[in-house]
Parts: sequence; C-alpha cells; structure tokens
Amino acid sequence: MMSGGPAVRVSIESQCERQVQEVSLDGLETYVPPLSMSQNLAKLAQRIDFDQSSDSEQDGPERESREPWSKPEPEEDEGAVKFQPSLWPWDSVRNNLRGALTEMCVLHDVLSVLKEKKYMALDPVSQDPSVTKTPQVFQLISKKKSLATAAQLLLKGAEKLNKSLAENQEQRRQRDFNSELLRLRSQWKLRKVSIQKQSPDIGDLGTVSLFRRQPKAKPASQTWHVKLEAAQNVLLCKEIFAQLSREAVQIKSQIPHIVVKNQIISQPFPGLQLSISLCHSTGEKRSQRASPEKSKPDDHLYVLEHNLHQLIREFHKQTLSSVVMPHPASAPFGHKRLRLAGPMAYDKAEISSLQQSEGLLEKIIKQAKHIFLRSRTARTIDTLASRIEDPQIQAHWSNINDVYESSVKVLITSQGYEQICKSIQLQLNIGVEQIRVVHRDGRVITLSHQEQELQDFLLSQMSQHQVHAVQQLAKVMGWHVLSFSNHVGLGPIESIGNASAITVTSPNGEYTISVRNGPESGCKVLVQFPRSQAKELPKSDVLQDARWTHLRGPYKEVHWSRMEGRNFVYKMELLMAALTPCP
Amino acid sequence: MEAPPVTVMPVTGGTINMMEYLLQGSVLDQSMESLLHRLRGLCDNMEPESFADHELVYLLKGQQGNPFMLRARRSLLHPTAPWHLRYLGQPEVGDKSRHALVRNCVDVAASHSLPEFLNEMGFRMDHEFVAKGQVFRKGAMKVVVSKLLRVLATGNTENTEPLSLSYLVELSVLAPAGQDNVSEDMRSFAEQLKPLVHLEKIDPKRLM
Repeated sequence: MMSGGPAVRVSIESQCERQVQEVSLDGLETYVPPLSMSQNLAKLAQRIDFDQSSDSEQDGPERESREPWSKPEPEEDEGAVKFQPSLWPWDSVRNNLRGALTEMCVLHDVLSVLKEKKYMALDPVSQDPSVTKTPQVFQLISKKKSLATAAQLLLKGAEKLNKSLAENQEQRRQRDFNSELLRLRSQWKLRKVSIQKQSPDIGDLGTVSLFRRQPKAKPASQTWHVKLEAAQNVLLCKEIFAQLSREAVQIKSQIPHIVVKNQIISQPFPGLQLSISLCHSTGEKRSQRASPEKSKPDDHLYVLEHNLHQLIREFHKQTLSSVVMPHPASAPFGHKRLRLAGPMAYDKAEISSLQQSEGLLEKIIKQAKHIFLRSRTARTIDTLASRIEDPQIQAHWSNINDVYESSVKVLITSQGYEQICKSIQLQLNIGVEQIRVVHRDGRVITLSHQEQELQDFLLSQMSQHQVHAVQQLAKVMGWHVLSFSNHVGLGPIESIGNASAITVTSPNGEYTISVRNGPESGCKVLVQFPRSQAKELPKSDVLQDARWTHLRGPYKEVHWSRMEGRNFVYKMELLMAALTPCP
Repeated sequence: MEAPPVTVMPVTGGTINMMEYLLQGSVLDQSMESLLHRLRGLCDNMEPESFADHELVYLLKGQQGNPFMLRARRSLLHPTAPWHLRYLGQPEVGDKSRHALVRNCVDVAASHSLPEFLNEMGFRMDHEFVAKGQVFRKGAMKVVVSKLLRVLATGNTENTEPLSLSYLVELSVLAPAGQDNVSEDMRSFAEQLKPLVHLEKIDPKRLM
C-alpha cells in the first residue's frame, strides 16, 4: 500500500463491547465483566414492569411512560403487535453493525487521506528496546541499594542500643563482681605448696593451699594513687639495688664488696662496715637502709637512702635528656659533647673528663665515708669540749655543705678573755677520707680519718693556746716577752705534740715569769725573783756593790693548782698583777 | 689518570664491628598524629625531639661494578653540630627467620669540611634530600619518623618539595655483631605499633 518509508504497523482493534470500569495508573484497563446468563436474565427481568399486564387495563403514567418509546416508531410498527423496539433481538446486532460500518468508513477515509501524504503522515514511534529494559534494571538495582543502606542504618542503630543495654547490665554485674573479688582477696590468701611440671606446653602447675588471712585493722582502703606510688617506689628501689649489686660485682676495689641476696656489705674504713639492704615487705613497703654499725640494725641513714634515690633519678634524667638525642638523626645516641671528640681531636684526658667514671656504688660509699667522718669529728670535738674546761673549745659548723665536704671552724678560747686570746682558730675541712686543717697563721695540716690524730692535734693546740694567751696577756699588762717558742726542744719529750714555753718579764724588770705548757705534762710556771728577795742565797762579801742585789736571782716554781682563779689566764693575770708593784 | 681503586674488603670501624638492625614502614600523612601519640606513649618519657637533616649521598665509581657509597648528613636545626658520615654494608644473608635487616655499619663524626674532603677523595655526589620529622628512643632502640623532601636546586635546602604523601618510619638499633635478642626486641616493639604501621624488613636490593 504505502511505497517508500518504513513499514508501519497499524493495529486494528474491535470496538469495545464491554464497558471500562477502571483505568489503573499504569494504563491497564479493567473492564466490567460481562454478565453471565442468569445475571442477564435478572437484569432483563428487572426491566419488566409486572404491574402492567398485556391487557393494558391500567391507565395513567405507566402508559405514558411507555408512550415515548412507542412514539418514535409508530410508523414502523403500527400494527397489531405492540412490542418495545428494545426488545427486538436484532437491535443490538443492527447497532453494532452500524457502528462497525461507521468505523470502517472512518478508517477508509483516514487511509485515503494518508495516501495523499499532503495533510497527514504516519510516523513510526521509535522504541529503543534497551531503554525499555534497562531503566527497570537500574531502578531495581538502585532500589535494592537504597533499601540495603536503610536496612544497614537501622541494624547499626539496633546493634548500638543492644550493646549499650548489655553494657549497662554487665557493668552493674561487674562492679559487684570486682568488689566481691577484692574483698575475697583481702581476706584469703593463696600459697603455693609445691611446684610440679606436668607437661612442657602447659608449664608450671603448682598445688596451692588456701588459708584465711588474719584481718588487719586497716584504717581506710588506699586510693589508687597511693597504691601506684607504692608500686613505683618498689620498682625504683629494686632498680637501685640491681644497679648497686651489679657494680659491686664488677668494680675492683681494695676491699671487695660482698653481695649476699638482698644485702651489699662493704668496708669503707677499717673497722667500719656499711650494709645496704633492700627491704621489701608486702605490709608496708620500706625502702633500703644503709647502716654504719652492724650492731645496730635499726640505725638507718635516711640521708643516704634519699641520696640514692636522687642519684638514680639524676642518672635517668641524663639518659633521657635531649642532650643525648642525635642531631643529625642518623647519628648514634650519645652525649652531644662527646660527638665533637672526633672532629675537634680530643685527647684521652678530655674524653675521660666527659665520661662518667664513677658508678652508683662508689658515689654512695664516698658519701657514707664523709658522713661517718663528719659525725666522728663532731663527736671528738664534743668529747674534748666536755672533758676539758680550760681552755674552752668552740665549734661553728657551716650550714652549706656538699655531699663530699663539710667544714667547721674550731675556736680555742679562755673564758673571759675571748677578745684578747684568739690566736688559735682552726678551719677544718672534712672531706671523704681526710680532714684538712687550716691554721690562722696559714699552716695547712692534713689529718687522716683516725680519730686519735684529731684529738691529739686539738690537745696540742690547746696547750699552745695557753702559751699564746700569756703572750697576749703580757702585751696587755705591759710585760715584756723575752722568749717564746711553740715547740721547745728542751725538757721531757711529750707523747702528744710538743711543749711550748714563754718567758715574760715585768715592766720594771724585777720579776720574770717563765711558763712551759705541754699537752700531756701540763703547765709549769716559774717565777724569777730579784736577788735581794731570795732568802736562801749565801751572803758573801765578794759582791760589794749594792746594785748587784737588784739582779734577778733563782727561779721558784709556783703551785699552780693552789693559785686563785678559775682558769689559767685568770691565774696568770693575778700573778702578773701581784708581781707588778704599785707605783 | 685511572680511577681510584674501590675496596672490596669488608669495611670495619676500628675494633668493634657494629651492626645496624633495621625495620622500616610507612604511614600516610593523615595517620601521622595517631602514630606520634602511640610512639609518645610507648617510648621513653621525653619531650618529642624534632629534627631537620640534609643528607648527601656520595658515590665512588671504580673499575669494578659496584660503586662505593657513603652518606653524609648534617643537621639544619643545629648548624654547629658535626656532620655524620655513614657507611652501610650489604645486608647479611643470615637465616631467614631473623626479623630485622642486619648490615654492617660504620659511623663517623666529621667536621664541616666533609663535602670538600669527599670531593677531593674522588667521591661524587649522587643525590641529596632533606628529611624532617621526629626521633624517639626506647632504651637502645631508635624510632625515626621522617618526611623526605626533594631538593629542587642543588645545595639549596630552602626550596624543597615532599617526595610523597607519607612518612617513613624506621626502627633501628646499633649493636655489636652476634646479638640475636636485639631483633626479637625489635619485633615485639613493632608488634605494638600494628595496625597503625607495619614495620618489616625491606631488602634494598629488591627495590633497585
């Protein structure tokens, strides 16, 4: 029919015989279902008006209602039979046929117009088969995805809720469990009785015995930070002791250190034993102690314990300081200054000065030695001061000390004459093993750690002081010093130090006092009188001039102990005063 | 003039032969913060130490095949600190079960005339880079987290650009030869850093 152009499909469908009941959203038409035989009969029967019989006896509106029906076809069926044109069985057929004819005419007209191609044209509807298919697939996939996401969110939320609920329940249960466990542990104790290795993969299994711990009267349960502090203390003490024991074994010293279990024993001085022990008790934790005497184990040296802690902390700080960190980063760890040793060509002395040579044990032993020496020095001075009243000994200890050095100023004075007789002033610098004494006149004497040396030295200084005091007194009193010697070479030898002697003469020259004072022999005072007062001198007539009687004669010893006066200088002053005649 | 001979003998540094045990890994820039936090917690308690170094790699090409490589490194933050010259030997092909890369290592501190000296000796600079980051330590172990930057103009360390979007993490220990527990300690430390960063031994020969 149509030449050229693509073949177009024309669909012809019959006229709808059935009524459309409903058109759904996707275009599907729902038809009214055709009436079944019985339904059709019922419908027709409803139309029959049973009130009106065929006799037409009833008049009125029934007839009139029938009238318009019968009216338009009076000319058709004016005869005898009065029947409804709708009851004519071929009416519907005639109508259908008429409708079909109409539609066919229309179709014929349309096709003839199309043939002209001037006023109407047929266009095929392009349908992409893929478009129809894939949108559905995409829609499906996207729907699935969105549903899956929504489902996941909901599931997650539900999971979270479940978890929080479970946690709450668990927490409530757990808190009780933990407190129960704590109480149990505080009251009961497990003790391992024997250890038996069951099998290599399981390891040590031990049989344990359970016994009730004695309930201690604890004041209040310790808070966590107190426990943490205690734990840290224990760890620090263990580390200190490990370091000390390691050094005790490795370092070679004159007297080797003994390391026995939790104790390190060493001898800083002969006759002195230093013991450092680690005491760890689970009741109350105590740190180490260092005791100088073996006989008094409770005599802690808390200072040394504190210093040990300080030393180890100092060591930690040095290892963790930024001075050790390498710049550039690829360099090995080490002190910043030591890295310069290569480029700056340090020699061995400089390198050794940079490196720490002393270990923890050596340091603490040195400190212990110093503490011991200092305490013994103080004890010596104190015993001397309490034993000897004349002259008096005063010790002024300096407040600022070092761990290895302390100093004390010792003054030897006579009571009442402090301003006059102040020639003996000693500065004692107590080191680790020695005491260095600096005299007022500039002498420097080094004493060892022996207690006796210091005592002897102080005694000799005291005896010298007496003689010096006489010298000062003579100056004040106007007497003249004839001779003075700190160390006389005459007379009996002293076992401690040397004796000193002085000879002074009165202002008018008549009397002379000679004093010899030794640390052991004590003091000896002799007075020389003029010849005229000496009674035992034989009178001879060889000397004729009277002036020879004014010469000084023999010496007479003074009973010094019977002299009046509370101390030596006072007595001397009285003696001098007595021998100076009043003008 | 013929090329200077390149030694084929093993290089030792004095009496003690030091070995470097090495484990390497990397972490992206955005995960750096969490790695630093973890390292701060695991390593010794110190203030974090930042560094900025400039490393030059020198090669001495001889008649033989392999050129001799030396690494010279200086600190940009501490200009007065000495240079650090490093020789790294071939990785030891020991048993495969050893967890860390072990190689001979010689470290020398040098004065500031090092580049001229190396040039006079016949070394030529192969490449250079700048590394910036932080150093941590745990006992003898050193953890270096560094960002490698490329130097755009030779010798100019101001003009740099990052080589990648990640940081290089290296765990190293310097120890004398023959200590096997070192690699065990390193491995257990590396375990603690997982899954933030996976430290493993990376053979440099496989990368070439």
